[in-house]
Amino acid sequence: MDRSIALWRTVFLILPVSVFAVFVIWPLLSSFYYSFTNWNGFNPNYDFVGFDNFAKIYTDRLFASAAINTVIWMVAAIILPTGLGLFLALLIDSRVPGGTLFKSVFYLPICLSAVVVGQVWVWIYQPDWGLLNTVLTYFSSEKINYAWLAKPESALFSVIVAWSWQQTGLSMVIYLAGLTAIPSDLQEVCELEGSSWWQKVRLVLLPLLAPATVVVIALSVINSLKGFDILFIMTEGGPFNSSDTLAMHMYNESFRKYYMGYGSAIAVVLFLVALAIIWLYFRQLRKVDEIYS
Amino acid sequence: MKSIAESADISASARPFNPWPGTIFACLSVLALLFLAPTFGVLMSSIKSKREIAFGQLWTMPSELFLGNFADVLSNPAVHQYLLNTFLVTAPATAASITLGVLGGYVFAKLPFKGSDLLFLALVSGMFFPPQVILIPLFRLFNSMGLIDTLWPMIIVHTAMGIPICTLLMRNFFATVPNPLRECAIIEGANEWQILVLVALPLSLPALAVLATLQFTWIWNDFLWPLIFTQSDDKRTIMLGLVFMRGQYSVAWGIQGAMSLIASLPTLLVFLFFQRYFIKGMTMGAVKG
Repeated sequence: MDRSIALWRTVFLILPVSVFAVFVIWPLLSSFYYSFTNWNGFNPNYDFVGFDNFAKIYTDRLFASAAINTVIWMVAAIILPTGLGLFLALLIDSRVPGGTLFKSVFYLPICLSAVVVGQVWVWIYQPDWGLLNTVLTYFSSEKINYAWLAKPESALFSVIVAWSWQQTGLSMVIYLAGLTAIPSDLQEVCELEGSSWWQKVRLVLLPLLAPATVVVIALSVINSLKGFDILFIMTEGGPFNSSDTLAMHMYNESFRKYYMGYGSAIAVVLFLVALAIIWLYFRQLRKVDEIYS
Repeated sequence: MKSIAESADISASARPFNPWPGTIFACLSVLALLFLAPTFGVLMSSIKSKREIAFGQLWTMPSELFLGNFADVLSNPAVHQYLLNTFLVTAPATAASITLGVLGGYVFAKLPFKGSDLLFLALVSGMFFPPQVILIPLFRLFNSMGLIDTLWPMIIVHTAMGIPICTLLMRNFFATVPNPLRECAIIEGANEWQILVLVALPLSLPALAVLATLQFTWIWNDFLWPLIFTQSDDKRTIMLGLVFMRGQYSVAWGIQGAMSLIASLPTLLVFLFFQRYFIKGMTMGAVKG
């Protein structure tokens, strides 16, 4: 009996585990290996260069600015989609008419591709006829044709706003799931108590939503590390690398300049950052579980 | 607690006029309109003639319905090729990743063994890492196999990268299938494969629907893998084709809008009809991760 179960386990697991090992785990480990080489992407031969690629990270000015931009992106990801998603979830949860319709509207951008979202927002930011400048001109005395995506000061933030537009729906549904888990008698007590909506939110709902907040923030931060497609479409990291992120910098070094060894070193750094965030996430999740169970 | 007891006698009729529902509804309506504006703009541009857009009327209602943009895009043979390629990648990769997730999820839920939790965690953590982490070695691997500029790398990578979420959701779902059902089947002489296919799977149709919608949407919308793995135009997927055709129709905004809509139509339809499953999958994947 036990032997037949062991046999079935092997039969069932062999395909998923081996596919995952060959096409995810092995490449991950290889990235570490290539980060110690100077492979250029084409030449079958390469040399080991020790920690040279990692030393280069220290002196690479573009890496530093990409790292800072990635941190900015993470902080914005915590504030924008998380905050707006929470706000929308609280509004929708308060039994407004048309709640399901509102939910669909805010969630819709999730099913669009980064390419399409990027293109839509390129139109919004277009200097001459873009929606943003058209609206701003309407409220101002003069014609506004600020080039949002072509100015180093505003490019990164403009992309982050577009990205947040797409991500907000995800935070919203996770918060809505969290709100459904809160017993309705608690909410009824608040109403009997005569407390205002804001008091109910601040004193009862927000503390009870702590687990959802951990999930939403972790997801937003992890997704901000993956922020590549929309950036590629909207600015390609420009102008003058002002909107580069680590993911974008890695692509540029590896597939534009063909410094695959150096690109691998950036990938390793990216992996370690993601690992640290995931570790924090699981630790917080367990802590939250302990408090509430 | 004391204050609850004191004020518990306030009845519903004694409650003062509540301005909140109205305010909330108004607030949500304004935000919804703001949220819809970008999508709405694309829709409007796609049904306008070049002439009308040239007058700077991109964001307004069209004066008349113009379908020329859609006719242009749909009669372009390159678009047919892009759509076909995307379908040839999305369909097998969706099916394969779900199949592997079903196999793995069943073992982790019903046949756990020593160390299976650790293996499960290793598999599932795969969904958190940026794809850049495995980009270069995969490029080298497929290059040495001579598969660059074919559809195979996309099918294989999407299958492999789909294993974490599929295994996670299927394990969580199979865990809710009652054990007595399985024991009953064993007494009747069924083996594990028969239990999986004849007992567990028919009960898991909602989970399969969740995964099918999620995987289909993600793979259809993907941009990075085809960017890395394809070179010639006839191997591009629709999202990559969209970017390259933008250069071709650089100021034809109406055609660009129509192209975006056609490229998004399959995922929009999936969203409209299977929204319930889609939202469930996104929250399950996130919260139980």
